[in-house]
Amino acid sequence: MVSYSLSENAYLKIFFHAAKHPHLPVNGVLLGRQTSDVVVIEDVIPLLHHWTSLSPMMEIGLDLAKGHAEAQEMSLVGYYQASERLDDTALAPVGERVAQKIRDQFNDAVAFVIDGDKLGTGDPALLPYLPQPSTTLWRPCIAQSPAFTTGSNFLLAKADSPSRAITLVRDHNLHEKFGDFDDHLEDVTIDWLRNSACRVESSET
Amino acid sequence: MSLQSALERLATYRANNTRASQDIFRNGLLALQKSSFKKLGDDGWACLEQLTLASIDVGRLDIADQCLQLIADKFPNSPRVDCLIGIRMEATEPPETALKYYADILEADSANVAIWKRRISVLRRTGKVEKAVNELVQFLDTFYTDVEGWLELADIYASCNQYDHSLQALSHVLLLTPQNPFYVLQAAETAYTSEDFPLAIKMFLTVVDMTDADDSEQLLQESTPLGITVRAWFGVKLCTRRIAQNANLKSLSNTSAPKNLELLDELATERLRVAYSSSGQKGEIAKGRQEVFAWVATPLV
Repeated sequence: MVSYSLSENAYLKIFFHAAKHPHLPVNGVLLGRQTSDVVVIEDVIPLLHHWTSLSPMMEIGLDLAKGHAEAQEMSLVGYYQASERLDDTALAPVGERVAQKIRDQFNDAVAFVIDGDKLGTGDPALLPYLPQPSTTLWRPCIAQSPAFTTGSNFLLAKADSPSRAITLVRDHNLHEKFGDFDDHLEDVTIDWLRNSACRVESSET
Repeated sequence: MSLQSALERLATYRANNTRASQDIFRNGLLALQKSSFKKLGDDGWACLEQLTLASIDVGRLDIADQCLQLIADKFPNSPRVDCLIGIRMEATEPPETALKYYADILEADSANVAIWKRRISVLRRTGKVEKAVNELVQFLDTFYTDVEGWLELADIYASCNQYDHSLQALSHVLLLTPQNPFYVLQAAETAYTSEDFPLAIKMFLTVVDMTDADDSEQLLQESTPLGITVRAWFGVKLCTRRIAQNANLKSLSNTSAPKNLELLDELATERLRVAYSSSGQKGEIAKGRQEVFAWVATPLV
């Protein structure tokens, strides 16, 4: 089975997106490259927080994100979302549809749902979903080792990303500088594709 | 941050009904610590109510309880305070307790709008979606002019993939508040999602009409689309493609497709190019220009 590695910037951006809109559903796509049996998720592009169950801006956002990924010699390799409620970690029909759309072009696509209960704890707060073989149904990935622990197929490039994310949000309010496609559609100067203001240099360890 | 500016921020959030809980909490706490709420008269109590809700949102229940105590002492038996107490209860008590609390109040006063709406939201949150919809429909039968209620109904339907029903709920919103372009935009995107592309493009164009530098003397060609006008032009462009690609176009609303599809497509392309070429409100350059230019350049069919 392929394994997935999530860069620090990718983790932080997902976290910032969820932290900026705690009472709304948010979603976006994962960018990366595949090398033999590892999918390296290097970056994410945040899409929506207004009406996540409506499709036109999602379709446009996906097209533009794909164009951007290709210009960086990367592909869309997955999808992420957070629900409006802490205890809701279902991918739901909308999430499945988008994840499936990405999978049509990238066979080893993955979906992450943000685990609201873990968001503030310093543990990795992402629940991986994978498609069931030969169906369009997506199921939470259940393996012997829970995701992001030793022996799991999911790992963080930097193990301290979750705690760093909390520090950056609590002490530096970095999430307030974060913008998604919905924000960009109200003010086109918002840098949703890159979010350069929220990019961090690798932490000193 | 001065007290004055903190209070002004709070007032703006109240006027716009913005749920910016983290910022409200920061500003409100400052005002609370300087115990200046009581000096403000009626505004002060509104601020305290606002801070209570924000504190619950950010999980600082200690501050919420402190505010709630002050408010409850000043206004015993107020229906508005009853509602706040209910929301505080929802934060820590099981949903059944909150539902029971709301049911008791409604028994005494069945016309308590705020409490009825809380009850519906608890039902939805705990997964009793069908019951929530039934109650909401009954609620809207009684209080037809409640825009928030119609929006909630539209949202529930959309989240269950029932876009035609969602659109129907939104049509009541449009009747009640015909001047708000955001609601037209939401209706346009809902129509698109339900695959009624002719209706969707008509509504996107209505949004453009409502928001595009309207009363100025400028010619269309000279102005730069800003704000949600850009979103609407994106919608127009997407619809022209869908209509051109779709031989067997169906429209539940019996809207006919626009005759000059190519011209509309050209116009949308040109408008989007302008939006991404000129400097925006703050004199900064639009981001993602290359990607957008490539996207609009894709041929119609």
